[in-house]
Amino acid sequence: MTTLQIAVIGVLGLIGIGLYGLLIARNLIKVIVALQVLVKGALLALVAAGLASGKLNLGQSLAVMVIVVDTVVAVIGLALALQVKRRMGTLDIKDLSTLKK
Amino acid sequence: MIQALILLTMGLPWLGGLAVWLTTNKHPRAQHTLAVVFAVATGSAALLLLPYASATPAIVIPLGGLFGDLTFTPDGLSVFLAIIATVVGSLAVIFSVNYMHGDKQLGRYYELVLLFIGAMAGLALTGSLLFLFVFWEVTAFCSFALIAFNNDDPKAVAGGIKALIITSLGGVGLLSGALIIYAQTGSYQIAAFLERAETLPKEVLALVAFGFLIAAAAKSAQFPFQTWLPDAMEAPTPVSALIHAATMVNAGVYLLARFFPAFEGVAGWTTAVMIVGLLSALLAGLMALVATDLKRALAYSTVSQLGYMVYAIGAGGVYASQFHLLSHAVFKALLFLAAGAVIHGVGTRDMRQMGGLGSRMPFTRTVFVIGALALAGIPIFNGFWSKELILEAGLHEGSLWAYGVAFFCAGLTALYTLRMVYLVFFGKPRSHLHAHDAQPAMKVSLGLLALGSVTTWLLAGPLSELLKSTLPFHEFHELRTGGMIQEVITQPATLAALAVIVAGGLLWWQRQRLTGLTRMLQGLARMATNSFGFEAINRGVIRVTQSTAEALRVTQTGLLSWNVAGIAIGLIVVLILLAWGK
Repeated sequence: MTTLQIAVIGVLGLIGIGLYGLLIARNLIKVIVALQVLVKGALLALVAAGLASGKLNLGQSLAVMVIVVDTVVAVIGLALALQVKRRMGTLDIKDLSTLKK
Repeated sequence: MIQALILLTMGLPWLGGLAVWLTTNKHPRAQHTLAVVFAVATGSAALLLLPYASATPAIVIPLGGLFGDLTFTPDGLSVFLAIIATVVGSLAVIFSVNYMHGDKQLGRYYELVLLFIGAMAGLALTGSLLFLFVFWEVTAFCSFALIAFNNDDPKAVAGGIKALIITSLGGVGLLSGALIIYAQTGSYQIAAFLERAETLPKEVLALVAFGFLIAAAAKSAQFPFQTWLPDAMEAPTPVSALIHAATMVNAGVYLLARFFPAFEGVAGWTTAVMIVGLLSALLAGLMALVATDLKRALAYSTVSQLGYMVYAIGAGGVYASQFHLLSHAVFKALLFLAAGAVIHGVGTRDMRQMGGLGSRMPFTRTVFVIGALALAGIPIFNGFWSKELILEAGLHEGSLWAYGVAFFCAGLTALYTLRMVYLVFFGKPRSHLHAHDAQPAMKVSLGLLALGSVTTWLLAGPLSELLKSTLPFHEFHELRTGGMIQEVITQPATLAALAVIVAGGLLWWQRQRLTGLTRMLQGLARMATNSFGFEAINRGVIRVTQSTAEALRVTQTGLLSWNVAGIAIGLIVVLILLAWGK
């Protein structure tokens, strides 16, 4: 098994876990965690794509940038979750949705 | 220069709409002034386009990929329609200064009207089918939003939704036609398609031709879609005059005229166009005869006159149809605006409550009668010349039965027009209405349009020359104004048509003696009030659309899990398609 194959399996696994988490999670914190897993899958995909196309440097530098941005996303997401908990008293996204009411 | 003028013709009304929005509803005077200034400037820019008319694209913006080039081609037909849209548009805006005085949501009104004027100019001037469709839908949206302008009135909202659904249905025909053309020729350019139309497979061309016919029929309120236009009369009257009489409903006729050279050879297409036009002219004429609401009667008459234009195209008289389009835009805008002055003056639209208003609103009566005479096709007025040209085209090209129906409709038009004029302005007052005559700004618009109704037929020669010199794929015969006068006057058919028109008129004066006949026709009248059952069909279409939308509402849960599931399924479908494509 080559490095690339391992990386692709890793990508599919991470994205699968992330999507599954987003599908079933009802707690906002869990949703954010699932989103992080999903993004990590995308990160690995970037590096794998760099490896496959022979531009490993490009893939890695893109990945580093996404790590920085993604950290900010995670922090803001958690801060928002905190505010939601304080104001609404719940973290269940099914209760938070008002579109259907 | 020409590029600047084209951009001004489309951009000025949009800028104006933005400016009106920025002034906010707290400054109604500024809003009126801005709207009038921008509308009149747009009209002037469009008029200045005239000397630059040519068949080569003036502006080409490459958008790349699937979208092709966004081109603007100021050929005769385009400039002609753009001028009608912007000039009648500016007159309608001037009229609105009095008509919409004191409205709380003036900003929304002017924004939509100006957006419409710009979109209509774009629809006329663009040379790309894709953007023709885009502008087509923008005008449909403006039409919907302005019909439903009084959005606390359920009737207005229902009318707006009806118009939106039916015209969108036509839009599907246009879009699929455009996509088929793109798939076949690899380009959205109208000129490229017209050039290569004959090399396309016959079945494909037929598919496009009938798709465009559906689009045109829905937009121009032709059979079997004619029922949305009367319901659109809930819109403020200047909007009815502008969108539902003079401009947007002409887009369908424009589409047919534009693509006539390509579809001429499609088996059965011209016959289908003729039948659609004649049925609309006949059925709507009968409905106009029994309508009691002044604006609805005018709307039926619009459908009927548009039917004439469509019939003329089916009979090969593209020039006659465009000439009648010009005449109709002028006199029908005049009639609608005059009707608006009446409605504004007395506060009702029901003709049964009017009567004897002529002595109290002499100016409105004068201009309304001028418009009515033009509509009825009385000599000297512009409607006479264009209608004669259509009848002549029908006599030379189409079959005799079709000519007979068109002939009968000419008499019918005279009859319902006279009935309308009589019910509103003459006879004894049937109720105590407080009436006041047209106000100054209204008089400006009405006076100019009345002048146009008497004089625009003099443009027959120049219009023919303009179309002939800039449309390479159409065949036009040279027609000078003097020649047209001679031709029309010396034709025996003219005399026959005049006789029918006069007979139609006389029938109204003799209506008391015709009670036996009227009783016989009562069944027909009842059918006419019910729109011959097409109302039910159109209502069915709308009900199906709305219940489908209600059924699909359950998919909008707002829950993250469902949305993610949707994304994941979409991703899988795309991946499968990609793998399959390889």
